[in-house]
Amino acid sequence: MERKKKEALQGIIYVLPSFILIACFSILPIFMSGYFSFTNYNVMNDPTFAALENYAKILKDAYVADAIKNTLAYVVVTVPIQTILSLVFAAFLAYKMQNKTGGFLRSIMFIPVIASAVTAGTIWRIILNTDGGLLNNLLGFLHISPVNWLGSTQTALISICIVAIWKNVGYFLVIYYAGIMGISKDLYEAARVDGATNIQQFFKITMPMLRPITYLVVTLGIIWSFQVFDLSYQMTGGGPGRSTVTIVMAIYNAAFKQYKMGYACAMAMVLLIIVLVINAVENLAFKEKEAK
Amino acid sequence: MKKTRTWTPLSVLGMLVMVLFAVICIAPFIYMMIMSFTQSTTLMLHFDEINFTDFTNYSYVFGKSGFLRALTNSLVVVISSCLFNCIISSMAAYGFEKKNFPGKEKLFKIYLATLMIPGQVTMIPVFIIMRKMGVLNTYFSLVVLILNAFGVFLIRQFMESVPDELLEAAKVDGCPEYRIFIQIVIPLIKPVLISLVVFTFVSSWNDFLWPLVSTTDSDMYTLTVALSLLKTQYQTNYGLIMAGAAVSFMFPFVLYIFLQKQFVEGIALSGVKG
Repeated sequence: MERKKKEALQGIIYVLPSFILIACFSILPIFMSGYFSFTNYNVMNDPTFAALENYAKILKDAYVADAIKNTLAYVVVTVPIQTILSLVFAAFLAYKMQNKTGGFLRSIMFIPVIASAVTAGTIWRIILNTDGGLLNNLLGFLHISPVNWLGSTQTALISICIVAIWKNVGYFLVIYYAGIMGISKDLYEAARVDGATNIQQFFKITMPMLRPITYLVVTLGIIWSFQVFDLSYQMTGGGPGRSTVTIVMAIYNAAFKQYKMGYACAMAMVLLIIVLVINAVENLAFKEKEAK
Repeated sequence: MKKTRTWTPLSVLGMLVMVLFAVICIAPFIYMMIMSFTQSTTLMLHFDEINFTDFTNYSYVFGKSGFLRALTNSLVVVISSCLFNCIISSMAAYGFEKKNFPGKEKLFKIYLATLMIPGQVTMIPVFIIMRKMGVLNTYFSLVVLILNAFGVFLIRQFMESVPDELLEAAKVDGCPEYRIFIQIVIPLIKPVLISLVVFTFVSSWNDFLWPLVSTTDSDMYTLTVALSLLKTQYQTNYGLIMAGAAVSFMFPFVLYIFLQKQFVEGIALSGVKG
């Protein structure tokens, strides 16, 4: 008995530092955020109760509406493309190029992942420059007239999406590649004996076997995309106009430019709910498939 | 897989696509390096202007714009973050995996649930808490947030493979508890600690939003914030901006070259966490 108590005490001591930090900087802030979202709070004065005022304001705020619209567009463009590209590339590298060259190519494709979004944004901002930027120069060789990539409301958001895809494919490719390596070779052997083509094998074996990984890749992709900030901040600062403002940028501006902490917290709560719903849907879908 | 050697037109095309994509992945960084060695303020690349022995941009970046200070800050923050995260996370993982205390598994579930919370949601209250504590603009505020349940989860999984008998035997031999942890457990979980270090290094080095909002004193800027400012200060001095980008890219890149396997493993592991 004495021994058990001692062990329990030791366990608690080991866990305690992490618990204090997670409680203070992860759990408590959620409740604070929830509370502030019902108040007007400018940091200098004490918060005053405002009931649902902030949430009502979100619904009417054209800036926030644009932020949500842009973020949704960003999610809808980046997630499917980066998922498909990383799956197809991973499959090709795993089946056709499981050699030194393939390994080398994989290492290179991972490099954009390790650069920060700020670094990537800095470089791409210059590459996409209208006058003499690298991309417009290259297009010039093909006699395509210069495009104002980041300066036009037509192309700014899509340019950011492309840079995001460029940066993310390597990451998901690594996850898919590991997944494909885990699929039993016997399945392919059997399929080949039955005369299945490579393409058929991809659709009938690889894709179904990778379904749990695809759930993960899609969920992570969606959740990260909803949190996009760095790229857009660095490449366009939200412009031109409001064409690349994102949800997190709206939160950042409300909280740290206008000091409307309550309003910003309300937006943050909306973001939290979006993320939790996506997680819940993924869990449900995953459990359903597991049960089958 | 014997049949993989058959080269159909489709697989040749596929190979070309792979090579092309790899080129697209690396080209911007090569462009960055080249640009950082030119003095031109126009974007047209004049190849005769490229001079790889001319470090003017680099010396200017370090000399004038508080960049050196930001680099030092980033190094201090990243190294402390790695140490801090490894120590606290492995202690917690050890407590969860090898000790029994009431409510243990419930608490662990709460830890896992916190992984779903985006940092942008907790950022504002954390800012307010730290402001009240008076620790904004300190290394503490930049380091302490690195700890999350991910490291605990990662190490706990790995620690399953540490045999209980070994710890039991050490205890019977009269080895004090803290020495069991430091001298037996820590060496055994070294591989996972390296993965966690790599992961922590990259996320801390590349973190932008938190340093942006929490550092109001320019002496406390980290490299990402300084780089972002460089863009606004020197609009069209592209060579200079690229030199800044190159400096911020160099550290994780060198780490990647030396610890490629751990990088990829760390990433694959972080994917599994979901």
